[in-house]
Amino acid sequence: MEAVRRFIGGRGLGAWYLYNEVGPEADPLGPANSLIFMNGPLVGTPLPACNKINLCFKSPLTSSYSYSLCGGHWGPELRFSGRTGLIIEGASREPVYLWIDDDEIELRPADRLWGRTVPETEELLRAELGGDELVQIACIGPAGEMLNRMACITAGRFREFGRGGCGAVMGSKRLKAIAVRGTGTVRFDDVAGVMGLAERLTADLLIQPKTIERRNYGTAEFLKGINDNGFLCTRNFSGTHFEEGHLLEGPRMREAIVVGDSSCFACPVACGKRSYVKTRDGRRMLLEGPEFETIALLGSNCGVSDWESLVEATLVCDEYGFDTMNAGACVSLAMECFEKGIITIRDTGGMELRFGNGAALVSLLRMMAERRGIGDILAEGVRCASERFGAPELAMHSRGQALPAYDPRGCKSMALAYATSPKGAHHMFSPTMGHEIAAGTRLSYEGKGALHMENQMEMCAVDSLGICSTVRGSFNISEQARAFGLVTGMKLDVEGLKLAAERTINLERIYNARLGFSRKDDTLPKRILCEPVPSGPSAGETVDLDRLLDEYYSQMGWNLEDGLPTRERLLTLGLLDPDAV
Amino acid sequence: MIGHRPMGRENSMEKKVLVFEAARCTGCRICEQWCSVRHFGMAGPSLSRITIIRDHVNQIDNGIICHQCVDAPCIASCKFDALSKDGTTGAIIVDARKCTGCRLCIRACPHGAVRMHPGEKYVLICDLCAGEPQCALHCPEKAVQYLERGKAERPYRSALVRGLAGRGKRYER
Repeated sequence: MEAVRRFIGGRGLGAWYLYNEVGPEADPLGPANSLIFMNGPLVGTPLPACNKINLCFKSPLTSSYSYSLCGGHWGPELRFSGRTGLIIEGASREPVYLWIDDDEIELRPADRLWGRTVPETEELLRAELGGDELVQIACIGPAGEMLNRMACITAGRFREFGRGGCGAVMGSKRLKAIAVRGTGTVRFDDVAGVMGLAERLTADLLIQPKTIERRNYGTAEFLKGINDNGFLCTRNFSGTHFEEGHLLEGPRMREAIVVGDSSCFACPVACGKRSYVKTRDGRRMLLEGPEFETIALLGSNCGVSDWESLVEATLVCDEYGFDTMNAGACVSLAMECFEKGIITIRDTGGMELRFGNGAALVSLLRMMAERRGIGDILAEGVRCASERFGAPELAMHSRGQALPAYDPRGCKSMALAYATSPKGAHHMFSPTMGHEIAAGTRLSYEGKGALHMENQMEMCAVDSLGICSTVRGSFNISEQARAFGLVTGMKLDVEGLKLAAERTINLERIYNARLGFSRKDDTLPKRILCEPVPSGPSAGETVDLDRLLDEYYSQMGWNLEDGLPTRERLLTLGLLDPDAV
Repeated sequence: MIGHRPMGRENSMEKKVLVFEAARCTGCRICEQWCSVRHFGMAGPSLSRITIIRDHVNQIDNGIICHQCVDAPCIASCKFDALSKDGTTGAIIVDARKCTGCRLCIRACPHGAVRMHPGEKYVLICDLCAGEPQCALHCPEKAVQYLERGKAERPYRSALVRGLAGRGKRYER
């Protein structure tokens, strides 16, 4: 209980377990790494959008601390089986899957499943378990088995633990799937209080203009604002405004491909969009998505604007089980290298790998998925691949993790989010863009350290409680503190919640410090730091990262020289035994 | 003379039934949560009388729900006199002391809407929350509605006309 008080659950508790269980010498793809699945205390309750389960692991992509959150129904099902979390240690010699049926838990042979795609695995496994559609399955595809460093773990067919390569960690353990059936319950301390809060928050949520946009267009609603403001990744970040972006906006997507909406557990927003495309050669494609980041990294960042290619590209990633964002960054890197003559048609196996070539996008993703030809190099991730090509300056990443869709040159606080995120460049570590657009401050530097700090703590709070960040406008931090109290019966005010979040962020920081990471690694690609945006609403902009870092470190109470938490700060947060040297 | 009152409106409560429309359901399962909390004071889909099942291959969410049959096959199938109809709402009432857990009613229900309690030896059947069914009240998509029996078929028939009801059809454009 003391750990819950200090770290809440989810991401916080996961970080604490990882810090204690996976030491600095652990090989990310060796048996010493662990997969630490941890639900937040609100998961499984009727409070809106409390369905996120967090996974902490040492990343094979960034060789650092990593966490990833997954929505859908798998986390709640695990909770209903009577478990808050699940820690996978060691490795198996033979392929296995884990079957959790309430109290019973068993490792079973998975030879029949090994080598199968995500949808095939789900179908075969569900049949083996008696055809129960209520069984929730998380699994890896061939990408995870082949230790593709972008591999994800897919739950419920279309929800992923996406970034950082956790699928490869699971593959290295030869664990193909985790199937869960839980028929238990979640109890709360104050039933009437929880239900009253759920009703009030849901009513408030459903009238917010933001929610209505999300319900209609999913995360794709975001694209127009980002493109219009000139910070949408375009052609491997060589530009920040995609002139065909209007074709990819939410309403166009709805019109062109969306046939239905899909919800995660207990969420009234239903931002999942089910898309259906019948290709010119008569194939039928049905999927949940694509999401905004996918549309940006596979779409605008590769110069591709046709939905047929985008949907097929997304499906390739979904079926083989790897992250659409890192995959898109690899393709855009290869495209730029091809256009610059760094790689040639001989390397690509006869493919004209130019920006805008949707067919080439799909083919290259298949090659990456199967590790064929140049795809084998790209499957190592954007950093390794660019070094192999001899063009490291063209790889758009921080610590090996590909940059998300928002070009930080046009939205300064995102530079801090990407540079200081413990899992490498990640937007959801501290998504400040909405605030910066609304306040009209996206190009200024003042106060961005404070904004980033505030935002990352709020994100850490929702990640630790198990709430989806989509609803944090209505389900804000004071409501979160109230919800925590009503569900657990433990007292916690907003300050206490923020303190727990700050403690977690510092713990993540010292986990990475133990691996040798410091200020020198809080960096961004040269293109972002030195090459001015060529045109559009952010024309002429670069990023003065040092100025941003100085302010942020001061706010956090970290050393300016190495960017690490001071001894005093760690003592205050209770992360250092005062008697320890 | 303007016209006659429609027939059977005198006791409209008795005439109301639950209606589920798959074309609207997004699979959030908020209905299950409210159902289980209302009846047991804790959350858990396996304690809910309404069940939402996602067909993972075809990406369709469908609801398993009591239809308040006029001549209820569950009651007819019961050999232990454990099931009866509520005089006011017309909902099925389970007498947990009489129920033996023989599961005959589960087989008899044409809608699959009867389930065993996961831990006890009696069945769970929708009791319409004494006339205020929480599933219908809290569904954000209005996929579950509580309608007069005489109008209950309308959402379904409308969906048929839109070509949205039923497998296969739904995703053809």
